[in-house]
Amino acid sequence: MAEDRASEPPSFSSRPSLPSADNSVWADVSPLLHAACQDLQEGELIHGDNFNLFAAMSALEIMDPKMDSGISCTYYSVDDAIENGVAPVPLSADKTADVQCVIDIMDHLLACEATWHKGHSLAQTVYSCLYLLRPERISSHALLHSFCKVIRATCKAILSVVSEARTHEEEDLFTMAYGLPLSGDGDEKCLSLLNAVEETISRQLRSCKASLSKRRVSEDIEPLQNNPDLEEGYCKALLCRLRFRKHFYHLLMSMKRPQGRGFELARKHIVSCISEIDHIQKSSEFLKVNANKMSEPNLDDTTASGCQPVGFDASLNCRLSAPTPPRSIKLLCLEKALEYFMKLLQDLDVICSYTLAPSLESALLFVVKFQKSQPDLVARAHLQLLMIQDGKLYGRDPIFSMITRAAGLPEVAEIHEIQKNEFMVQLGQLVINLLKILCTNAAWQRRKLGKMLQDWRVTYVQLEMAFKGEFEEASKSSNNKKICFKIYQHILAWVEEQTYWIAFRFLNLGFELELYSVHDYCMVYWYFYVVLIKLAEKKHLRMSLSGESAKKKTKKRRDSFKDGEMDYQISPPVLYLQSQIYLAEGLSMMFAALRNEHRIAPLQSPFNTEHEIFIQQFELLQRACVPDHISYATFKESTVRANFSTLAICDYFKEAQRIAKELKSSFANDPDTMAELRRIEQVAERNSIALNVCRAGALDPKLKISFSFCHHPFYATAIVKRS
Amino acid sequence: MENVEFEASEIEYVSYGGEHHLPLIMNLVDQELSEPYSIFTYRYFVYLWPQLSFLAFHKGQCVGTVVCKMGEHRNTFRGYIAMLVVIKPYRGRGIATELVTRSISVMMESGCEEVTLEAEVTNKGALALYGRLGFIRAKRLFHYYLNGVDAFRLKLLFPRPELHPSLPMMADKYESHIQSDQGDTSFKE
Repeated sequence: MAEDRASEPPSFSSRPSLPSADNSVWADVSPLLHAACQDLQEGELIHGDNFNLFAAMSALEIMDPKMDSGISCTYYSVDDAIENGVAPVPLSADKTADVQCVIDIMDHLLACEATWHKGHSLAQTVYSCLYLLRPERISSHALLHSFCKVIRATCKAILSVVSEARTHEEEDLFTMAYGLPLSGDGDEKCLSLLNAVEETISRQLRSCKASLSKRRVSEDIEPLQNNPDLEEGYCKALLCRLRFRKHFYHLLMSMKRPQGRGFELARKHIVSCISEIDHIQKSSEFLKVNANKMSEPNLDDTTASGCQPVGFDASLNCRLSAPTPPRSIKLLCLEKALEYFMKLLQDLDVICSYTLAPSLESALLFVVKFQKSQPDLVARAHLQLLMIQDGKLYGRDPIFSMITRAAGLPEVAEIHEIQKNEFMVQLGQLVINLLKILCTNAAWQRRKLGKMLQDWRVTYVQLEMAFKGEFEEASKSSNNKKICFKIYQHILAWVEEQTYWIAFRFLNLGFELELYSVHDYCMVYWYFYVVLIKLAEKKHLRMSLSGESAKKKTKKRRDSFKDGEMDYQISPPVLYLQSQIYLAEGLSMMFAALRNEHRIAPLQSPFNTEHEIFIQQFELLQRACVPDHISYATFKESTVRANFSTLAICDYFKEAQRIAKELKSSFANDPDTMAELRRIEQVAERNSIALNVCRAGALDPKLKISFSFCHHPFYATAIVKRS
Repeated sequence: MENVEFEASEIEYVSYGGEHHLPLIMNLVDQELSEPYSIFTYRYFVYLWPQLSFLAFHKGQCVGTVVCKMGEHRNTFRGYIAMLVVIKPYRGRGIATELVTRSISVMMESGCEEVTLEAEVTNKGALALYGRLGFIRAKRLFHYYLNGVDAFRLKLLFPRPELHPSLPMMADKYESHIQSDQGDTSFKE
């Protein structure tokens, strides 16, 4: 019987031996191998001139199951597996069992899909399903046929989004789809087929509900399966799964529409998807209780019923995963898969809620904020395609006009011929790359941001030279000269500001990625301090040029910069940076004092010194001279004399706290900055107290100091305890 | 498995000596890794750089090993630590540190400018060990391992003599610092 065949493992003795192909025939080479063994000395290795580490690592020992995935393959090919009844159609002659099997397949495919999204290959996950690999076989089974079509169309849509984003992150396994049937005939019409099936099952549900309440049945419809007591449960279980796929596919199509035109509709489908996930979760009790007792148990927990799904074999595609055979992977369980989709939907909803403000600054802030929730690849790829389409911001605003606006220039500058200048074009490309890279995962992002600094610096220098070149040209009219002058001046200031913004993000991402150890904190906060001073300086300059800072009034006391030269009115955004300058300096000095007062043991490596650590940590910043005139020597000079009594004179933490507190009134309408100011205040206050305790108990050996990021992701809070 | 009692002096450290050491290394490393290396991989390391691999013995039993390579990589002469294993009953006693230190010393003496390796972000023991030796976490590699765990690329930069003469004050401090360190370490025989 069909179900017996499906559950019975095939025996090796009954399998036919591998057939010869058209142009080849099997030959026994055992004597040749034996002779070759005698010919090699012990330890002698056969290798060619280009036999490198990669070749060594790719080599495998035949018949070792850990390396030779073919030895543990049950079947030689998809057709071989099908001939042995691995993927029967229909899944069972018994209609109830058939429905149960289909639901198991749906659940397992969802688990496979989530596993694929998380960074495994399509071949080993979704396409481990034989029904997907041979789509023509299931055309008679409307339910499975329409479901598989939607799965294929969905995978294709997501694959195209991630491929188009093309950032070549570490997640390169995701886009490998060589040899897989991603496009079936008529897949574009998958939704109409799915709708038809949904309609049928809805009618079956209505019919069974009507007969339960003894109402007269208006239409004569064949039930979904055999057992009337289970009809309602199975109809509902199927419907929520079908509807989830329908809404998810609609969601993807809506988000594909350019310039966010489909966002409102997408958000509606997100709500429906979330609702259907809830129904899927609620159906699991019913499915588990009524599971087919004869089925094999599902050890990976990928189905609600707990049964092993029919028709899957991950090893069949191993030949499609070049260049080395893949190691086996662990699939996400169904519960984790549903959690993954919930998070994906929430992240996509954030993207769809964004009002496309025509400002580069707000776009940058939005991406940085979005990344805080640690979205996965699929959500980030969607964000990136929203941000940059056809070389324009949101596919709508030319990059050059976004730059001129960010630089505080009037609208007339947007159409100036300067945009054709090769270095302006280069700058535009840098901005586009910056936006794309800000959408990638934090680890990859930080490396790219660091490498980018040199490009920004070089572009600045080239623009500056082009600027000077312009004014040697006598032929330009004086009016045009004035406009050119103004454009260059603003843009140069903006480029510098943006360069230091990138440097600061590069530095603070190091905390998020746990790249720094406690021994590095002193020099890292010191570098924060020097970079933030420059960032504040450039921001102030840029704002002054466009007259933005003159509008704001600030308190007279302590308005000036660290070097005491300037006494301009300083705008809240610059003061916001200033509070962080004090905080960073305070932290750096505190760590230096703790080391100088022997509260923290210095690192004593047998192989290198703090100088080498400094060189490595800040290599990319140093190479780009961001900022210039900064070296290990200047760091040492600033920190070598720090101790508790010198820190009593300049209370950095108190200043940081004061500025943050006073600034709150300026940012009343900006909840994100308000929250950040509160965090800065907390960190400053607690560190101030900790420092006082350290000062008072300077000779007390029982005082223990530790550091935590409980109040802020990258500004540490010192905790002092008596042990 | 309980820890074995032993004195640090009972551990014998030996440089890779030939074919007879290869199965010892392979057994140790195979036990630890879920994905095995082929014999080609082992031979690639120990035949090209035998001076960089070391074994630790206790009463005739091989209890730990380190396997490395070095070479030119993008204009830097760089050492790479490929495998480091100490069997469970012998962990936490400095054997791994000693093995690695010996290998890095050979790399330094051979003119390497830096040493690198990858370690799982969750491997606190390895991160602490290498941190103490002067490695920094240069990069985080997203989903580096098949089970989805991230890795850190660890890097150690050796001091370059040409950098220090330009800082007279720092040069003096640096020299005295290095001398006092060398007096404390045990590997110099």
